[in-house]
Amino acid sequence: MQRLTIALAKGRLQTETLELLGRAGVTVSSEMLATRRLAVEDESGRYRFIFVKPADVPVYVEHGIADCGVVGRDVLLESDADVLQRLTLEIGRCRMVVAAPSDLSWDNYGMVRVATKYPRVTAQHFGARGLSVEIIELSGSVEVAPLLGLADCIVDLVETGRTLRENGLQIVEVIAESTARLVINRASYQLKAAAVADLIDALGEPVNQESEFVLPPSGGSS
Amino acid sequence: MSEPLSKIPDGMRYYTGPEARLRRSVEEIVMSVFEGWSYEEITTPTVDYYSLFEHGMGSSQAHRAFRFTDSDGRMLALRPDITSGVARAAVTMFAKRQRPLRLCYAAKVFRQQPQSHAEWRRESTQAGCELLGSNTIAADLEVLAIASEILQRLGLGGEHLITLNDVGVFKGIAAGLALDAGSRDQMRQLVDSRNAADLERFLVDQAFPPDECRALVQLTQISGKRDTLESARLAITNAGPAEALDRLDRLWETIELLDLQEQFEIDLGDVAKLDYYTGLTFNIYVNGAAARIGSGGRYDGLTAAFGNAEPAIGFVLDLDALTTVLLARSQDEIFPPDPDRRLSHTTNSDPALLFREAMKKRADGERVLINFER
Repeated sequence: MQRLTIALAKGRLQTETLELLGRAGVTVSSEMLATRRLAVEDESGRYRFIFVKPADVPVYVEHGIADCGVVGRDVLLESDADVLQRLTLEIGRCRMVVAAPSDLSWDNYGMVRVATKYPRVTAQHFGARGLSVEIIELSGSVEVAPLLGLADCIVDLVETGRTLRENGLQIVEVIAESTARLVINRASYQLKAAAVADLIDALGEPVNQESEFVLPPSGGSS
Repeated sequence: MSEPLSKIPDGMRYYTGPEARLRRSVEEIVMSVFEGWSYEEITTPTVDYYSLFEHGMGSSQAHRAFRFTDSDGRMLALRPDITSGVARAAVTMFAKRQRPLRLCYAAKVFRQQPQSHAEWRRESTQAGCELLGSNTIAADLEVLAIASEILQRLGLGGEHLITLNDVGVFKGIAAGLALDAGSRDQMRQLVDSRNAADLERFLVDQAFPPDECRALVQLTQISGKRDTLESARLAITNAGPAEALDRLDRLWETIELLDLQEQFEIDLGDVAKLDYYTGLTFNIYVNGAAARIGSGGRYDGLTAAFGNAEPAIGFVLDLDALTTVLLARSQDEIFPPDPDRRLSHTTNSDPALLFREAMKKRADGERVLINFER
């Protein structure tokens, strides 16, 4: 069986993905993880994991350095990488939102100043409604920008909403719901089809089982 | 601020040494296979009217061309593809020629690319062939056989996979839905990235009939050998795509009779260039390349734009991507490291004597290296 290289987003998603794989019998020894190496193998030797920054996961996968990756939908919306998004996982749930000090009325703005780490998503979201935006790209602590007068609102990820409340912000609009996705390199999807299918089986059933559009597996080699 | 003269524009590059030699050998092998199947070489103009490519490729692809204006104000472009120029020649210069018409080429194309992508070279070499005037399964098989032979001759036998689809499947399902161009393309992209989750959300929002929805979501899931078509028939019950599935079935049957099924797979989710193709489409993947290294298909609607509709099929290979793959592996049997010719060092202070000797050796077919006194 061909070996797959899988890029995982460092941080909480990495832990949750390894847990999910663990339940399917794909385990990485704790000694291996404790070494803090950036590339480790699972115990069967069928998978090699590389740990990279979330935004770099689609980059490694598109370039074929990793065959697959696990990364949040939020990251994929911001990236324009050409990768296959074959499977949705029920981990890493969060929302991409517009948040502001008070309920903004867009009518009052000729130009909205938005602070964000997600310039592409922001431009698309406001562009679709015909609003002019000045996007102020920050690399962290975006929540303080409205407080300090740098921006009128922010576009950011929210898990519990606590950080927003602590900075006097409220959710004005939800841009997208996000959970983790299994992404696959286009060539690997074809050339390592059997190994990729195994990984898909290990991580979950195709889409949600309650979906009315997905038939039970019919025994095809999909 | 001015750029230093040492800077090379993004996406442009030099080829030197072994890589340059390998690249030429790859081109020669590819062209010799085309010639072996009786394809005639054609060279299209490097600079042509932008409108040619707009008609030939569709505006969404053509807008990636480098554009400039002619002295009379008309818009010109550095050719972003070869097929458009070939199709025009077929219905004009070659109008009276017997059909089928077989043409092949290897030439540079120029495209603006988003820089972040895996394949973002802006100048690349395409080798390809076009078979015009026949819409039979035999014509489809001919180009597939050529693609397969090329990969074998490049030493990539067993390292490649050609995926097959028929755009009639997607178009057949989508035909029943009232879609504007934007939503149709959004739907196409979701299928193409096998993104079943977002596709479902999109379909539910649009409130389409459940049969069509189920069929579209299935497209993202179905790929494999012949059993794929059986799964597809069970899952896709609406009438639209049936004809396309039948065509794929007949093609696959012949592929099995030729015992080539190991090299092929059916992939109904591949809907990359929907507006261009009208029937069979295929993509070529090779171990060691992160993206497809070739693609092709049937484009029966294209030549109509130049005044005469006729069926056509063809494909292109990305020679630069192929060279990169081949450079990374040992290919000595196929590409001998250096021609076996004696290297003769020639030194003489009298230029006339020096060159008399050198020219004689050249006439004998020897390789000459002249050592100049500095």
